[in-house]
Order: sequence, then structure tokens, then C-alpha cells
Amino acid sequence: MIAALILVPILAGLALYLLPRSADALAKWIGVLIAFGAFAIAIVYNGAPDESLRWLQRPFTANFHVGLGGLSYWIVLLLSLTTGCALLAMRVPRQRDFVASMLVLLGTMTGVFIARDLLLFALFWDFMLIPVFLILVAWAPGKSAGSAWRYLIYNLTGGLALLLATAAYGVVEGSTDVIGLAAGHGATAIGAVWGIWIFAGYAFAFLVKTPAWPFHTWMPDTYADLPAPAVAVVSAVQSKAGLYGFLAIAAPLLPDQMREATTPLFMIGLIGLVYGGLIALVQDDAKRVVAYSSLSHLGLILLAVFSGNPIAIGGAAVYIIAHGLFSAGLFLTIGQVESREDTRLISRLGGLGARNPKLAGALTIVALAALGLPGLCGFAGEILILTGLYQAGAIVATVIALVPIVLAAAYMLRLFQSFMHGPELADIPERKDMRPLEILALAPLVIAMVLLGVYPEPVANVSPSVSTISLPSAGIR
Amino acid sequence: MPPFVMPFGTSDWSAVLPLSVVALTPLLVLLLDLILPKAMRRGAAVTIAALGLIAGGLLALQGWGHPFAAFGGGFVNGGFTIVFEEVILAGALISLLLATHLGRDDQSGGAIALLLWSASGAMLLAGAANLMTIFLGLELLSLALYCLCGLSSRPSAREASLKYLILSSTASGFMLYGMALLFGATGSVQLAALLAPPASTTLFTLGCGLFMIGFAFKLSLVPFHVWTPDVYEGAPLPVTAFMSIVTKAGALAVIARFAYAALPQPQAQAILIPLWILAALSMIAGNVAALAQTDMKRLLAYSGIAQLGYVVAALAGTTALGLRYAIFYLIAYMFMNLGAFAVVALLSREHEEGSRLSAFAGLGYRQPALAASMTFFLMGLAGLPPTAGFIGKILILSSSVDAGYAWLAGVLIVGTAISVYVYFKIVRAMYARTTGADIQRAVKPASLLPWLGVGICAVAILVLGLYPVAPSDVLPLVK
Repeated sequence: MIAALILVPILAGLALYLLPRSADALAKWIGVLIAFGAFAIAIVYNGAPDESLRWLQRPFTANFHVGLGGLSYWIVLLLSLTTGCALLAMRVPRQRDFVASMLVLLGTMTGVFIARDLLLFALFWDFMLIPVFLILVAWAPGKSAGSAWRYLIYNLTGGLALLLATAAYGVVEGSTDVIGLAAGHGATAIGAVWGIWIFAGYAFAFLVKTPAWPFHTWMPDTYADLPAPAVAVVSAVQSKAGLYGFLAIAAPLLPDQMREATTPLFMIGLIGLVYGGLIALVQDDAKRVVAYSSLSHLGLILLAVFSGNPIAIGGAAVYIIAHGLFSAGLFLTIGQVESREDTRLISRLGGLGARNPKLAGALTIVALAALGLPGLCGFAGEILILTGLYQAGAIVATVIALVPIVLAAAYMLRLFQSFMHGPELADIPERKDMRPLEILALAPLVIAMVLLGVYPEPVANVSPSVSTISLPSAGIR
Repeated sequence: MPPFVMPFGTSDWSAVLPLSVVALTPLLVLLLDLILPKAMRRGAAVTIAALGLIAGGLLALQGWGHPFAAFGGGFVNGGFTIVFEEVILAGALISLLLATHLGRDDQSGGAIALLLWSASGAMLLAGAANLMTIFLGLELLSLALYCLCGLSSRPSAREASLKYLILSSTASGFMLYGMALLFGATGSVQLAALLAPPASTTLFTLGCGLFMIGFAFKLSLVPFHVWTPDVYEGAPLPVTAFMSIVTKAGALAVIARFAYAALPQPQAQAILIPLWILAALSMIAGNVAALAQTDMKRLLAYSGIAQLGYVVAALAGTTALGLRYAIFYLIAYMFMNLGAFAVVALLSREHEEGSRLSAFAGLGYRQPALAASMTFFLMGLAGLPPTAGFIGKILILSSSVDAGYAWLAGVLIVGTAISVYVYFKIVRAMYARTTGADIQRAVKPASLLPWLGVGICAVAILVLGLYPVAPSDVLPLVK
């Protein structure tokens, strides 16, 4: 039944092509139903026994092994929730085909997070690129496919490194069916020579996918070109695959290498944190503001992941979900502004708040969650991460990590202010406020932001890995 | 005492029964071509030929588990031979499904007969275990193809035919010289004789080198690949599809038998190193050259060069698992490549092959099912999941790493990264909204038979991707 979380969306997505081209509304409701159905199934089957099917016996053992629990449970919830909400309020041409791509994306991304076998993980890791590439090709504005290429080539290069690392791991260890069963596993056979290369392959793939500076250059274009519902899901969940990989794969399987890599990855995280925040301050395109803010926020999570401190790692789990919620919310709201005004440039918009109080309210809440207002989800993650970093003794890093939090307030308020306040634009005759469906689509995200903000314990207490083992303390001294 | 004694017994003849069936079926095809009215000829020829190929395949399976060295060691039947025979027959069968574009109606009988004779030559190569049978098989394979390449009326067809004839003959010359030197070094034409330490190491090494150069030509490994794109472009589509699998399978069988079973052990790895270097060069150069192509047949030619590089890379270190994975990837490549050719066949009009990349523009909106199939085949060729290409690459990677050729695995990854752009250029063309001003109308294919090919290939790629079964008991024998 856990496997159905993967198979049903993919098969349903392909089956949508059997519908007539005009059946847009039907396709949309099928998509919404399947996404929320996945949400319900995930809740019911949390912690259910793993499901496994024989795949390869030689040259190493690999199984179709899926399981739901720990961090992956929360990410699957986030994924199905954002997909459902994104589909509910979407306004894109050729809706049937779009829903089909989104459902395939849902299924393949779920696969990444519930795979318990490295080879299966690698399979879905590459597979999930295809629907995004197709969406970029078919729905991106403009004729050039630059963003599609950049997305595919960057991520697939990472994916191939991951593939090679997986093959090498399988050959060295004799089995790839190790995610979640890793207690004591990493300490065994992987020697220094192989370990460093295998870790390098995984780390490269994870950093490109996150993306972390300096591998982020595919991200702003991709986020700017994807239609709002797709970018909401991609930024909310696909960008978490790399961080999840560090937590669920690198930390338990390659702990020594992880510890050795701490210093360079701290540097990468810190640079991304400050750089992303600074660039976000000067962007004119609202989507790019959010894209660069993601770079900054994900850098913070990267710090937490490599701090080795349990509080910080709990905070990383909370912030992974929190960032998913508010970035999905931001992209959906910006998409609603864009669909009304035909632009999302900060310099060209203004005064929407007066005629669109509901839209203004929605943007207020998600922007506040993003800038870390206490009581909303962003704050819960940030405070846990900063506390953990401080406790781990990384004082300098903690102080530097405070800077982008201030920057976040600046760029989020700038975005909000220029959209909603100021003189009304004269050239657009009529504006309609949010439709009920659009409110309905944002409501679950906002509720989740508040819930996670006031009660982050369940997420913070998930063990960092997918299994019950605790991370070896890496320690920044 | 009987007046006439057959020099070989029935078990010798039964070892070559499958290929004899494939070689005799064309006679029936030609006979029917004389008798039947013009309208029925092509259909009858395709049907008879398909039945002959299927019969050959079933007969070949009968020999499984009974290795036998027929004709004094000239043809060794065994698991290895049978697997390659099946690959050749399947490749020929699927190519046959595209044969609505093979010559004019009055040529089709002859063309299909030549196709089958060529296949029988490749089958001979699959089991050939002495230098004479190797050469016999190779010439049988090639002579029929020289004619087939020149079949269409385009000027490029004549060029292709001539180019193939000259370059292939040159390669045969190299190989014959190598064979002569090997004979000089060992005093025997049997591959088995190569196993013993040679009398003259210089002669032996030189002979091996020339022999491998000859087969590198046939496998079109870089830098012996220059004929491939021109010949593929000029030849009719079914012939190109046929060449991309059948000749490659035949040549690979010989190279694998040579590398695995016919070299004296201490020196074997050193002798073979140039082959792995050629494989590495092919993976990179093939994919880089494919970047610039605008014709599907040329593109698939260059991609085939790279793909054969992957297959040969799997043999590096000559491990038993490596051979199984090379065969697995060859089978996967066969389905992916022939699937792509079948899509091109479905885009072809009466007198124009739909192999220009522009024929794919907007296909995702005109013929969604065809575009989806093509996407799936291209994903496979690029090594993306959930296809047999993905799992095949993983298997090759792990066998190279295991055999101590991690550098080859690294080159494979780089080559694959380049190839992604090659294949997804087509995917992009199919799904982009605004490519080209003219959105063409859906092409009505001349025959629906290629759809069968598309279906078979797609199902095979998916199933092999999820349940990869690499054949066991396939170590080649020389005696």
C-alpha cells in the first residue's frame, strides 16, 4: 500500500492522456483527488511495515524497498499537500497535460523519499527530473529553452554522479538495500579510498539538487520559468531531496566522510546563506526574490545538517517542512498576482492591497512566515537551528547566520510593500480579489504554517535519519 | 560400404540448423516473388521472412544446455552462441517490421532475401570459432549489406553503398592480414590454438592488433567510425536499423569470444587494453559528434558509436559478470534503438523518410502516443529510469568498478552526461510549443506494422528495466 503512493499518481498521470483534450476540469479534479488521497494514505500508513520486492541479486543486492516513517513521512505529507493545493487553484493552459505531468512528478518525488534502497533512490532521483523538464519545455514563457536545459544538465550531472557512487557502494558493500537499516553499517567495510569518492559523488548530487552555492545557477531561471503550481511543488519539495539525502543517506552510511567534510560544507552553507540573502534584496522579479531567498534558507539548513548537534538537526527537519510550506505559499500567491496583473515585477506593481484585501492578507501571512515571525513555522525552525549551532560551539557561524535573517525581513517586506501598498496602478481596469477556490487552496498551507509554528515538536523529534538511529555527533569546535 | 560419406555427422548440421533455416527461407521468398501478383508480394515476403526468423529462433533455443563444437571446431554451439543468435534474429525481425520502406514493390522480395542472408552471416559469426568461419560469416554479412545500402534511388544511397564497400573491404583487409599473422604465429586457424603460448610474440601481438582493428571497424569504434554516419544516412531506414543491431551483434560476438576465450592468459589483459581505450574514445567522441546532428539517422549513428562503447566497456577486465551485462545492455540497446527507428518509420511519407529533426517539431501535440513512445526510447538511450537503459548502465558501472576499471566508469558517466543533451534535444522539439512556424499535419504512415515494433520495444524496455534478467551460462567456448 505504501508503494501505491508512487504507482497510483504515475499511472493516473499517464492515464489522463486517455481523456479527451477538452476534459480540463475533470483532469484537474482527478489530480486534486489523487494528491489529497495520497495525503490521507500517508497519514494512515505512517510507520507501517516496509514493503520489499526482489530486484537485483548480482552484482549486488537491490530491492524495490519502500517504507514510510520519520522525516520522510513529514516530507511526503508536505509533498502531497502542496501538490493538492497547487492543482486546486491552478490557471494554466492545456490543463489535462499539465495535471498529468504534475501527477508523475508527485509519484516520482514520493519515490525519492520513501525509497529504502540506494538504487531505488537513484532511480527516482533521475526520474523526477523528466516531468519538470517537460513542464519547462512546454509551459515556460518565451521561446528559448535555456532554463529547461540548465535544469536538466545540472541535475542530471549530479544524478549521474549519484549513480556512479551508488554502483560503487553496491560493489563495495554487496547491497544497496541499506537506507534506514544503517545502524553500524557505515562503520564496516567502506575504506578510506572508496569512502571519499562515494561521499563525493553523493555530496555533489545533493548540493546541486539543494541547490547550494556555487551549484545554484540553474535555480533562479528554473523557478522563474516554471508555472506557479509547478514551482510551488519543486521549490517546496524537490529542493529538499538533497538535504534529505545528507540526513538519511550520507550521515548514517558515511559518517566518517561526513565529519571530514564538515568544514568545506560549512563554508558552502555560509556563503549561500549570505549571498542568497543579498541577491534577493535587489531582484526585481518576485519569483527570483523567493528563489534567492531559498538559496539563503537552504544554506541555513545545510549548516544545521553538518553541525551534528541534535537540536540543530531537529531544527533542520522543522525548517525543511517550514520552508516547503512558506515557499509554496509564496509562489502560489505570486502566481495569483501574476495571473491578475500579467506581471510579477516589483517595479511595475503597486497598490494591490486596496482592492484585493484577501490577497494582501494571504501574502502577509506567508511573507511573515518566511521572514521568521515568532508563532509561525519559519521562526520555529530558525530558533532551533541557531540554538543548536550555538550549542555545538560554532559561534562565528551562528553570528553570520543571523545576518540573513535580518536580510529576510528586508526583502520580504520590500516584496510585500511594493505589491500591496503605494499608489494603485492605473493601466489595469478591473481587479478581482481571490476566488473562493484560491482561498481554499492556500488555507491548508496557512493552517499548517501556524500549527508547525506553535507545535514543532513532532517534526523536531523525528530522528534525523529515516530509521531510529541517532546521528554521530560531528561537532564543530 | 556407402558410396558417399558425408564428412560431418547430423549433430554438426543440427548445430547450424537455425542459421540454415534463415539462409534457406530467402529462396522461398524469391520463389513467391516470381509467382504472386505484384500487390501481394511485399506482404508475402515480410510474412514468410518473419516466419523463417521465428522458426530459426525456436530451433536455436533447442540447443540450449548442449554445448557442441561442430565442424571440427569451426562452429561452437553453446549458450553464448544461442544468445547472440537470438539477439540477431530479434533485431532482424523488428527491422523487418519497418520494411514497408524497403525499396519499390518489385524490389522488396529481393531486398528481404538479402536481409535474411545477411542475418544468417551474423549468426555464423555468433558461433564462429576459427578464423575461416569468422571470415566467411563476415563476408556473408557484409556482401548482402553492400547491395541493401544502395537500394533507394537517392544519390546518397549510392554514395553510402560505395563508401561501405570500400571501407569495409579495407577493414577486412586489415583483419585478413591479422589472421595471416596469427596463423603464422600459431600454425593453426583455430581460435583455440591462440590459447597456447605463441611461437613468436611479435607476430602474435601484431596479429591480434590487426584483428582487433578489423573488428573495431565493424563495431564502428572511434577512430574507425567515420563510415558509419554516412552509410546510416544513405541506406534505407530498415537497413539502417538492421545494421545498427545485427552487424554490431555479430562483430561483438567475435570480439567477445576472442577476448574471453582465445588469448593466452598472462598476456590477455595487456593485449586487450587498446580495446578499452577505443571504447572510452567512442563514448566521448560519439556523443560529442551526435550533438551537432540534425538528421535522426546520423544522430542515431553517432549515438550507436557511443552505445557500443558502453557495451565494450562492460567487457573490460573480461569478467563473467561483465559479459552478461554487455549482453544485457546490447539487448536493451537493441530495443531502444529499434524503437526509435520504428518511430522514424511511422513519421515517414511515401517517398520521404521522416528522419529530419524538424519532422519531430510539435509531435507531442499532433501524435501524443508516438511522441510519448519516442520520449521513452530516448530516455532509455540516455540511461534514465525507468528503462532498461538505466539498469544496464548501473550494471556496466558496477562491473567496471568491480574489475578495477573505475576510470572507464568515469568516462561512461561523462559520455552519458553529454548524451543527455543529444537525446533531449529531440524531446524538447516534440514538446516545445513554438518550434518552427509551420505546425505540420499528422503523418499518415504507409503501414501500421511499425506500431507493432514500437509496442514490442516499449514493453521490452520497461520490463527489462524493472526485472533485469541477464542470461547466465554464456561464457564463450572455442572448442
